[in-house]
Amino acid sequence: MNRKRIYPAWFLLPAMSVFLVFFIIPMAVSFFFSMTVWDFSGFTFCGLDNFALFFSERSLSHSVVNTMIYAIGTSGLKVILAFFIAVFLTSGIRTKNLIRSIVFFPNLVSTVAVGMAFKALMHPTKGLFNQIIAFFGGHGPDWLGNVDMALYSVILTDVWKGVSVATVIYIAGIVSIDKNYYEAAAIDGANGWQKLKNITIPLCRPAMNSVIILSFIGGLRSFDLIWSMTGGGPGFASDVLASVVYKQYAAGFYGLSTAGNVIMLILIGLLAFPLQKFLLSKEVE
Amino acid sequence: MKRKKMMGMLLTAAMVTGSMASAFTCMAADEKPYDGVNLSIMIENGTDESSYQPILDLIKEKMGITVEVEFKPAGSEGTNLIKTRLLSGNMTDLMIYNVGSLLSALNPQDYFIDMAGTDLAATFDDSFTQAASFEGGLYAVPAGSASGGGVMYNMDIYEKYGLEVPKTWDEFIANLDVIKEAGEVTPLIGTFADAWTAQVPFLADNYQVMHNDPAFAEGFTSGEKKFATSEAAFRSWEKLEATQPYYNEDYMATTYDMGCDMLANGEGAHYIMTCGILQNIYTLYGEDVVNRIGVFPVPGDTEEETGLTVWTSGGLYGNKNSENVDAVKAVMEFWTSDEALDVLVENSRPSGPFHNGYKLPDTVFKGVKDQMVYFEAGKTAPALEFLTPVKGANCDAICTELVTGQTTAEEAAKAYDEDCLKMAVQLGLDWK
Amino acid sequence: MKKNKRFRLLGDIIGMAAAFLIFVVPFIFILSNSLKDRREANLLQLALPETFVWKNYSEVFTANNYILLTAFKNSILLTVFSVGGLIIVCSMAGYILQRRKDGLTKAANFVTMMGLMVPPAILPTIWITQGLHIDGTMFSMVMIEIALQIPFDIMLYRGFVGTIPIELEEAGYIDGCERLGMFCKIIFPLLKPVTATVIILNAVSVFNDFTNPLYFFPGRKNATVQLTLYNFMGQYQSSYNLLFADVIIITIPMLILFIIFNKRIVDGMVAGSVKG
Repeated sequence: MNRKRIYPAWFLLPAMSVFLVFFIIPMAVSFFFSMTVWDFSGFTFCGLDNFALFFSERSLSHSVVNTMIYAIGTSGLKVILAFFIAVFLTSGIRTKNLIRSIVFFPNLVSTVAVGMAFKALMHPTKGLFNQIIAFFGGHGPDWLGNVDMALYSVILTDVWKGVSVATVIYIAGIVSIDKNYYEAAAIDGANGWQKLKNITIPLCRPAMNSVIILSFIGGLRSFDLIWSMTGGGPGFASDVLASVVYKQYAAGFYGLSTAGNVIMLILIGLLAFPLQKFLLSKEVE
Repeated sequence: MKRKKMMGMLLTAAMVTGSMASAFTCMAADEKPYDGVNLSIMIENGTDESSYQPILDLIKEKMGITVEVEFKPAGSEGTNLIKTRLLSGNMTDLMIYNVGSLLSALNPQDYFIDMAGTDLAATFDDSFTQAASFEGGLYAVPAGSASGGGVMYNMDIYEKYGLEVPKTWDEFIANLDVIKEAGEVTPLIGTFADAWTAQVPFLADNYQVMHNDPAFAEGFTSGEKKFATSEAAFRSWEKLEATQPYYNEDYMATTYDMGCDMLANGEGAHYIMTCGILQNIYTLYGEDVVNRIGVFPVPGDTEEETGLTVWTSGGLYGNKNSENVDAVKAVMEFWTSDEALDVLVENSRPSGPFHNGYKLPDTVFKGVKDQMVYFEAGKTAPALEFLTPVKGANCDAICTELVTGQTTAEEAAKAYDEDCLKMAVQLGLDWK
Repeated sequence: MKKNKRFRLLGDIIGMAAAFLIFVVPFIFILSNSLKDRREANLLQLALPETFVWKNYSEVFTANNYILLTAFKNSILLTVFSVGGLIIVCSMAGYILQRRKDGLTKAANFVTMMGLMVPPAILPTIWITQGLHIDGTMFSMVMIEIALQIPFDIMLYRGFVGTIPIELEEAGYIDGCERLGMFCKIIFPLLKPVTATVIILNAVSVFNDFTNPLYFFPGRKNATVQLTLYNFMGQYQSSYNLLFADVIIITIPMLILFIIFNKRIVDGMVAGSVKG
């Protein structure tokens, strides 16, 4: 049968035209504006000056490292924690629906609201976290005020908020595994760990790949939470690429900011595409 | 037939009411030339309502103009919002916003009414006129009073420890040490959860800079002078570095509001801030508490070098592309009239002198009286951002880095010079 | 078997306790502080309020001349239009992208995959909307939200379509169904589970979007609920009680939506994103 006639290309048209006008064209234009000193009334072409300036900015190299830490930290934790939560929630306990709802709940609250709430919880002297630590006789850290810790505190909050989506993807992957495998394994006398290792993990590999890719890219682009919790501070200590780009933009350096955007785009391209290729090749095996 | 008659009656009635209505408008026009006009004004979120609402009410009453308030976020996000809205052409009719370096980054000639050369403009003092001007145009009228920046101190704590108001930087540090050793209260309040507050101690040292190097502002604009290489300007960074040991432990999580609480409750002895804080403490704690807060400038190394750094009032800007430009101009004119200021000082105590010589009432806070001594002695200088269009966008983050011990004064000064270079490039200044 | 049961009970207890401590306590904290007066709330204690200040909630509503009502109207309209639009355009596109394999779909796949990764360019987008004279309108805001969500939704739909037996369509084709008609009558109803997932995930992200309306949808009459958070986050007055009361109020619509669609979230995912 004629595949082309039964699946008309114009079905793509609405989605693609909106996407083209409001996403692709602005992105393409940004390459041009990244090579200008740009403000409201006009622009001056300046070649690669913005990129040079961007790389001489002391906080930039730092922010690239932070971006990597953030992306790897959040996606790593989500991939692992969400897997175990998902296994736990598919293990036939009675409260699974209730717990799943509870875990999903933070996802309903806006990132900015979560950031502000956790900022309060992480207050070094009055915050709930440190009061609990003090109750057990410890001395809690300055979660967001400590230069070496701020970024990791934001990572933990991100995981708290975002682990639910990863969990749901895993649950979807796990429940779609054919029950016969488990029954066969049970007959062979496999214990819980063996079942997990030999059936669940390999068979929910596609789900795991989705989680890795989605949370890794989400991590690379993350901005809202960092902005609402630390504003990139103390100083520049928790700045990531997205917040540096935003700061240049806020300062009115539109050309420079757009250059940062382009750098981020290239970085994501260099990391995420190969990662996805790699994961897909594993999947086929 | 009947219907026709009816119609005629209706028409007559309509004509009568119509002409009456227009007569009424005519009458009203004499008193309220802009009756029924609706304007919008953009004000920063969290601005004390008493600093604008009484005037808006009076404008409604006297001129018949309804002004709807729209809020913008603080800091760089707010600046960004303004830029975006100017760019897309849907800015409010009026706006209260900083003058000085932030103004020059807006391309004001494209968006705001130029007041230069008007009778009104002649009534403003030089410091405001300079700060609100850009390439010969004057784009704002003062929205309030000037405000000194310096060290706010709790007088009860000073009495308790038998401290004197310091006249030099060393005396200030000695006072901080006394309080630190006693260990009861915070010597110096840090509120870096609101990042913008981190730069105030640095900015408030500008009198010393301009006193020791009067050409600094000009040289800085032209790119000849730098913070890292000018001795007077570098001293400001050293002073900021010297404050490191004295802050509260939770300074990164403390907000401006909490800082006000700490100072008012006597949990902290000093807070380096602008005098606008006094109104805030007054609103929260009342007359008795606010008059136990004294003010002295960030001290210089000698008594001679000690003078007050002054923040020029925010500006009231008029949108020149507004549909009601005349009404906007009338509001701007009215805003600085004695009539409006009378109502303003009744509701909101000024934190310093007005830019048009309006006489301050005797009810001003103790802290404002403290700083008036410096105004009367002529020992004041505007903050640097009112003397040059160049202000680094990351000033607060660079100050925070220094105060949290991530950098040294040398590194901070260099970083700030680099940060300012970006602004200079954007402004089209030739710094290379 | 008995041992197994006891195990499960233990699992229930530990699971509930952990979920409560980790995920529920922060919300109790928000709720409790939303009912305190300003000074007590700024102490940031978990404890119950000394006196319950219910008027925080009415204060949030009346603040700034009832801006929260305007904001609710805008946010709900924005969410409904965006999600509705997304369902239509993405189900069609996802369907074709799964079924048809040629150069065109390859290119479309690549472009949307890229959109999943690349951050949006804000200023150039404003530049475009200005050029089209639709800047600052609900229409442009809806289009921008749709554009931002298209890649993820297409991915979900494309994955789910893979689980629908192709025979159904072939049968329909042979019966001489119009192509659009076949899609509407046969395919779209089968996509219900993934559509439910799309509704909840997109509704949450559009309704909770903070940054985009800030730039693309300016002005008081265009306020959205997330923007009202700003009213309580000012430079000079941080009032945690009002802030948290606002958080609670603006979370309620999503909570309702969640209760309606809760059970369906997983169903749509089962085949959706998993098969990528």
